[in-house]
Parts: sequence; C-alpha cells; structure tokens
Amino acid sequence: MSAALDSFFFSYQALIFAVGVNGLLALSMYTVLAIGQLSLGQAAFMGIGAYVSTLLTLDAGWPFWAVLMAAMAVPALAALVIGGPTLKLTGVYLALATIGLGEILRIFCNASELTGGALGLSGIPNKTSFGLIYGILALALLGAVLVARSKLGRAMEAMREDEVAAGVMGVNLPAMKLGALVVSAMLAGLAGALNAHANSFIGPNDYGFDQAVTILSFALLGGIGSPFGPVLGAVILTVLPELLTALHDFKLVVNGFIIVVAVLFMPRGLLVWRIGRIG
Amino acid sequence: MRKTTLAALALLPLATAGAIWTAPAKAEDVTIGAIEILTGPNSRYGVAIKNGFDLALDEVNKTGVLGGKKLVIQYEDSAGNKDQAVNAARKLIGISKVPLLLGPTLSNEMFAAGPVANEQKIPIVGTSTTANGITAIGPYVFRTSLPEADVIPVTLKTAQAKFGIKKVAVMYANDDAFSKSGYDVFKATLEKLGIQTLTTETFGTKDSDFSAQLTKIKSLNPDAVVVSALVEPASGILLDARSLGFDEKVRFIGGNGFNSPKLGDIAGEAADGTMVGSPWFIGKDDPANTKFVAAYRAKYKDDPDQFAAQAYDTLHIVANAIDKAGAADPEKIKTALQAAKYTGVMGPFSFTENRDPADASGVVVLEMKGGKFQILK
Repeated sequence: MSAALDSFFFSYQALIFAVGVNGLLALSMYTVLAIGQLSLGQAAFMGIGAYVSTLLTLDAGWPFWAVLMAAMAVPALAALVIGGPTLKLTGVYLALATIGLGEILRIFCNASELTGGALGLSGIPNKTSFGLIYGILALALLGAVLVARSKLGRAMEAMREDEVAAGVMGVNLPAMKLGALVVSAMLAGLAGALNAHANSFIGPNDYGFDQAVTILSFALLGGIGSPFGPVLGAVILTVLPELLTALHDFKLVVNGFIIVVAVLFMPRGLLVWRIGRIG
Repeated sequence: MRKTTLAALALLPLATAGAIWTAPAKAEDVTIGAIEILTGPNSRYGVAIKNGFDLALDEVNKTGVLGGKKLVIQYEDSAGNKDQAVNAARKLIGISKVPLLLGPTLSNEMFAAGPVANEQKIPIVGTSTTANGITAIGPYVFRTSLPEADVIPVTLKTAQAKFGIKKVAVMYANDDAFSKSGYDVFKATLEKLGIQTLTTETFGTKDSDFSAQLTKIKSLNPDAVVVSALVEPASGILLDARSLGFDEKVRFIGGNGFNSPKLGDIAGEAADGTMVGSPWFIGKDDPANTKFVAAYRAKYKDDPDQFAAQAYDTLHIVANAIDKAGAADPEKIKTALQAAKYTGVMGPFSFTENRDPADASGVVVLEMKGGKFQILK
C-alpha cells in the first residue's frame, strides 16, 4: 500500500504542488478583487518573486527561508513603487497599467544577462515540500479569513460594492488600495518562489499575459464572496486539464465548455456564500 | 435537476479518463514512454516525431526485442507546456514504470522534465532538443538530434569556402530560447572563422515587420545576413528583404529554424539562395534513406521531415540498446545506449561521452531554389 501511495504521490507530485501554488496565486488575486480593483500584474509579481528567489539560491546561496522572505519583500517593494502613480486608476485602466508592468518584466528578462535572457534559468534545486506549500497556503487562507471577518473586511466589502459611498463613510481609500496591492504582491512573489523551487527551470515567458489571465480566472470561477472561492477555483482549473488528458484534441474544448457552463449558471462564482463577521 | 446534469457532464470525461489510464499493457511486452506535443499549435513537430517512431516500431516488432517480446510506446501529450511535460514524465515513471523515456519535443520541456527522469535514474532520449546545455542536466539525459553547435559551423564553413564571405550582418529573435541559443553558436563560429560582424540586430518572435533592421543592414553592404529565428519570422525577414531590394548576391544563412518546407511555402521565391545546414535531407540518395522515405510515404501519404527522420533513427537506436542490455532495466539500457553504434538515415551515429551525437558527417548544406530545398552543389 505504501509503495502504491508512493508511486501515486511521485506521479502526481508536480500537479499536487501546482494546486497549492495556484491556490496562493488565487488568494493574491482575491486581495485585490476584494476591494473592487482589477489588477493583471499578479503574474509579474510572481515572476519577480521567482527570479529573485532563483538568483539568490543559485548565485548567492542564501538559505531557503531567507530566499522566501526576499521573494516577498522585493515584489512588495515593486508594488509600493508602482502603487503611487497607478492607484489613481481604477477598473480597466488599472488593468491596462498592470499589463504594462508584466510586459516590462518580460522584456527586461529577455534582454538581461543576469536572468539568462530567453534561455531562462535552469538547474534550480528542489527545495519545496508538500508540507511547506500547503502550510503556507493554510496560513494565508487563515489570514484572509480573519481579515474578512474583521472590521477591515467590512470596509473592503463596502469598497467593492461602492467605492464613493465607502469613501464618504470614512474608509481610507488610498491606504486600502496600496495595502491590498502590497499584500497581493507578497503572496504572488511567494507563490513564484515556491513554483521556481518546485520546477527546475524558469523562463521569461512563464509570467506573461496568459498567466495573468489564468490567475484572474481562478478567482472569478471560484467567486470572491470569501477567500475559499478563489482557492477552489484554482484547484478546479489546475486539476481539470490533467483529468481530461485522455480526451486529446477535445481536452481544451471540454475544459472550456465546463468553464462556460459554470459561469453561465453561477455568474458570481462557484462559492457564493459570504463569510460571517465578528467585530 | 440542472445541478445533476451538470455534475454528470463534469464526471463523464473523468470516468473515460480513468478507464484509459488504467488499461495495462501485456506483461510480456516492453513498454517505453514518449512525451511529445500531440495537440496545440506546435503539434506538427510532435506528430511528425510520433509518425517516425511508429514507422520504426513496425519494423522493430517484426522481430521484437529481448528475444521476441513486443516493444510498445506509451504516448503522453505535453501540448508544448513544460508543466504538462513534467506531469507526463512523472506519470510514465511512477505509474507505468517505463525503463526509458523518449522526448519531450521542445528544449524548454526537456529542461523541466529531464531533471525528473535523471533523478529517478531513468534514461531520457530527446530527438528534437537542440539547445545548449540539454545533456548537462545529468548522466541519464541523451539526445540524438545534432545540436546547433555542430550543424551551424558546417553551414558557415561551406558558405565561407564557396562564396568567399568576409563580412556579415547578424539578426536573431531575442525572446525565444531556441533562437537565442542558435545566435550564441553563430557568434562563436563567426569569431572562430574570422568573419567580420558588421552589426547585430534583434527582433521579437511575433514581429511581422523587419524593415527597420533590414534597411540598416542594407546600408552596411554585408556579403551575407546570418539569421537565427523560427520559421515564421524567418519567412517574414526574407519577404521584407526582397521588397527592400537586397542585392541577390547577398545570401541569407539560417539556423535550424529555417530548415522547414514552410519557408518555401510562405516566402516563395523570396527565399531563393537561402542556405541552411541539416542533419538529414529527403533527397539524400543512400539506400537507408530511400527505403525510409518510401515506407513513410506508403504509410502516411505524406513526405517525412527532419523530425520524423530523427525519431525513426532514434527508435532503432533505442530498440538495439534494449536488445543489447538483455533486460528492460534502466541502468543496463543506459550503459548500452552509451555504447550504441548505428547507421541510419541521418548517417553514422554514436554518442559522445557527454551523450550528444558524436558524428556530424551526415550534415548536408541545403539551398533554396524556386521555393524548394536542394543540396548545395
């Protein structure tokens, strides 16, 4: 039995790790969407985290916990810097500006010697484990639930439903927006570092527009009523294509069909239930 | 009601998927795994490779391996995605317990899947991975495709000897691993041969307008333009160059990305005079190759390409190695592969100590004429 379990875990390890990492990315998207902002920069923050952590591991030989800290700090710093000018933007304009961020990162990584250019960086040692990834995911989820249940969560929900009204009621809009962007960048950077150290290879094209849209779709499919929705969306969208491999050419058709059906019948996401409040 | 239908819809494919996964091969067969791009935009490479494998498999199974056992290939689709390539490798090693892996199709996928196989001590043989550093992944990673580092010098040396090329302009796509690694080889070879580089221009793989770079290059009067790019931008460059009125004596010299019949299909006569080196050519008239081309045409009603040819040779090499190993044991197969000697449609073949192809004598230099490749004479 143990051997069978072993071979199951070995065979699906990449998938199991991807589910956890994508769950973190979905939570990172959730922190921005929860205050009614649409950012497509999550993939870029993830890329920054992945590259920073990889370079620190390969070239500087930092211990892994310090690498993870840096993978959170650097994207957070980037979010602080771009936060000022972009915070005045809302909706599609913020989305456009954050797409720009992703493109800048991709072009920089392609042109720079430091990041290995288009060849990317290979030979990254595997430092992650099942416990680490899911421990971090559980902590992030717990944090998100606690925030959602608090006064802060009430303010966030007010902002999402009507920003102007929330501002009039005394919610500090700029601080909330910047805070959400920074936290989401930290989560995405952490996910990037875990992803890089679970694979052995990263390249500039892993963190482009496609990845940004994928992360957005995790949150939208799951629903943003509570932090559990985006994580559920990430689980489904990560596992589904793998379950459907036997369908070959029809895989993407069926995959898309299931998503269309879900969105048609559940426009607010799969988990519409909202979280109870304290305080 | 609606919810039940939905659930049924969602479960249906899962049920079929489960049924197909668990179908076991017969115990007396030898099953090896292959990871190729079988769906999606790059599937033409993976399907050509699969055709090459299957054609050779028919021949191998007329006698069988290990004293009459049947050789079976279990295919997994990577769809050109490195994560799916890793999933496929883990599934083949962990569940199907294959003693050897073929593929994956792209170098990027090999950089992700190769370490998994290497760590589990399962030999993995790439048939189309030409980037630098593939076999440096580890001692269990082999490749049968000649790396660009072996093909490009032959092309440039031929160009220098035949056309007296002294100064060139270089162009490459800087956002694509394949094109970048080809450029690195071009650069090193040009230096070694003492050819002067007038300028180096870059572009993006998805670009469609190259007139800015080409106008600058034209003003510098190079003897030739050296380009490292995939076939789509390569065709665009040739078309733009023609419309800018490049002198016909200026030769375009390409890396392996140019080595596709699509170049002639897209660029037509604008591609005339373009030179490229190839480990294999459909018009090579040795008996092994004529037999292969005829068998391929009979089975698939289509012409084979370089990817099919490399795959065809690879399966014969692998089958021979399994035979020599005497058992479907990864360690023994690895030792047998290392010592493999085979003469196939690409010419004589053996591995170097670093598990790259040792012999570049099969390389032919091709030239475009009237939208078709022919051997440069």
